[in-house]
Amino acid sequence: MDFDFNYLLAQWPALLDGMLMTLRVSLLAIAFSLLIGVLGGAVRALRMPVLSQIVAMYVELIRNTPILVQLFFIFYGLPAIGLELSLFWSGVVCLSVWAGAYQVENMRGGLATVEHKMREASMALSLKPHQYFYLVALPIAFRTSLPAVLNTAISLLKNSSYLQAIGLAELTFVAVDRIATDFRAIEMFSAICVMYLALVAILSLLTGRLSAHLQRPFRH
Amino acid sequence: MSAMLTVRGLHKRFGEHEVVKGVDLDVRQGEVVVIIGPSGSGKSTFIRCLNSLEEPSAGSVVVDGGESVRANDRRAMARLREDIGMVFQDYTLFPHMTVMANMILAPVRVKGVSKADAQANALALLERVGLKHKADGYPGELSGGQQQRVAIVRALAMKPRLLLFDEPTSALDPETVGEVLSVMKGLAAEGMTMIVVTHEMGFAREVADRVVFFDGGKIVEMGPPAQIFSAPEHPRTRQFLQSVLH
Ligand SMILES: Nc1ncnc2c1ncn2[C@@H]1O[C@H](COP(=O)(O)OP(=O)(O)O)[C@@H](O)[C@H]1O
Ligand SMILES: [Mg+2]
Repeated sequence: MDFDFNYLLAQWPALLDGMLMTLRVSLLAIAFSLLIGVLGGAVRALRMPVLSQIVAMYVELIRNTPILVQLFFIFYGLPAIGLELSLFWSGVVCLSVWAGAYQVENMRGGLATVEHKMREASMALSLKPHQYFYLVALPIAFRTSLPAVLNTAISLLKNSSYLQAIGLAELTFVAVDRIATDFRAIEMFSAICVMYLALVAILSLLTGRLSAHLQRPFRH
Repeated sequence: MSAMLTVRGLHKRFGEHEVVKGVDLDVRQGEVVVIIGPSGSGKSTFIRCLNSLEEPSAGSVVVDGGESVRANDRRAMARLREDIGMVFQDYTLFPHMTVMANMILAPVRVKGVSKADAQANALALLERVGLKHKADGYPGELSGGQQQRVAIVRALAMKPRLLLFDEPTSALDPETVGEVLSVMKGLAAEGMTMIVVTHEMGFAREVADRVVFFDGGKIVEMGPPAQIFSAPEHPRTRQFLQSVLH
């Protein structure tokens, strides 16, 4: 069996394009899913009537159905009701909505650990409830949730490879596409495994830095 | 002297359970009122009602000659809160913020004070309690007594007209109780109006203008410390004092 490095070298520009697409979709979706997580986590933690039940249903729905089905629903289903998204935005929406459900649970868990006395101290200082939420509760909660938040972000990055199923030219799509013509499966899959590993490693590294920064007040 | 706080007919019930059963209290400007009484008698609930951490069931509250606020008018009570500072038993500094950030948070965000002014004021307050050098430290790096001193000046930074204390030294190591009490004595000497729930009878004797004995959700008796401690009128007061002074 021969492993052809020169082949990979020749395919490098295409792989790089694929990786950049993976990165763009994933970073956008990570940002949106965090937003969903913070808002949904707040709704759940504050037990807002009606909204809280709606968010809970959303979380259950996403966590108990296959992501591929969710993707097809967005890409093939939504146009049928007049909601047509581009390939790229279908991918972003799918990953955001999927990871958002997990981030809601992550943030809810973090917010649940914030002690009640913090809320009372904020009230006694006349902070408004929303000021308490984003100045006090959220930063404290985020520090607790960060490991889980990172896990979800990593899963999102890996799951971006599902987007090849709708034809978005991300990393896995590029590989599969080339294999169909060149039959260099070992080279291609090895290459993209290494590239995914590298992306995950970078994400972990950045989060590690952030975590160390957030932990600073709590080390003594 | 003018009235700083007037409370009339304050009630608080949790479901069926009535915890505060009609309290009338007048506090003059600059007066230090110390509330004593057995645990579970409703002392905390009463002072928490004053700055609407609990929503009173009935009664009215007037702060500093302002409008009389029906105690169950939530909005109006929340407005009163800006004039009332509170120090809790537990450490309640925000752990993710430096001491300085804790100090300026409410003045900047609630009162709209400029950051520079808030910082200058915070440094002056911290200096007063001997903690200026800790301004850039985090609460977790401070001892309990130090945290409680910061909590007191954090409340002062809002320039309250009335300060409430709910057992501010009960969670402290014995050796740091003194430093917190001495800050409170200093405030009293400067004319701050204070209501203090405490088990520190020495503090009550020395600093209080008036001691209030609270039992069963009611004020049983009140008067100058000399009178309450040496010649209590009510048998329940006598019984309570006997149990805590021995
Ligand atoms: N949020 C609450 N819900 C129900 N009961 C409460 C609540 N807070 C306090 N109580 C009850 O009110 C009574 C008085 O409590 P508290 O005001 O803390 O007394 P004290 O401060 O004098 O020890 C206690 O029996 C307590 O169990
Ligand atoms: Mg109490």
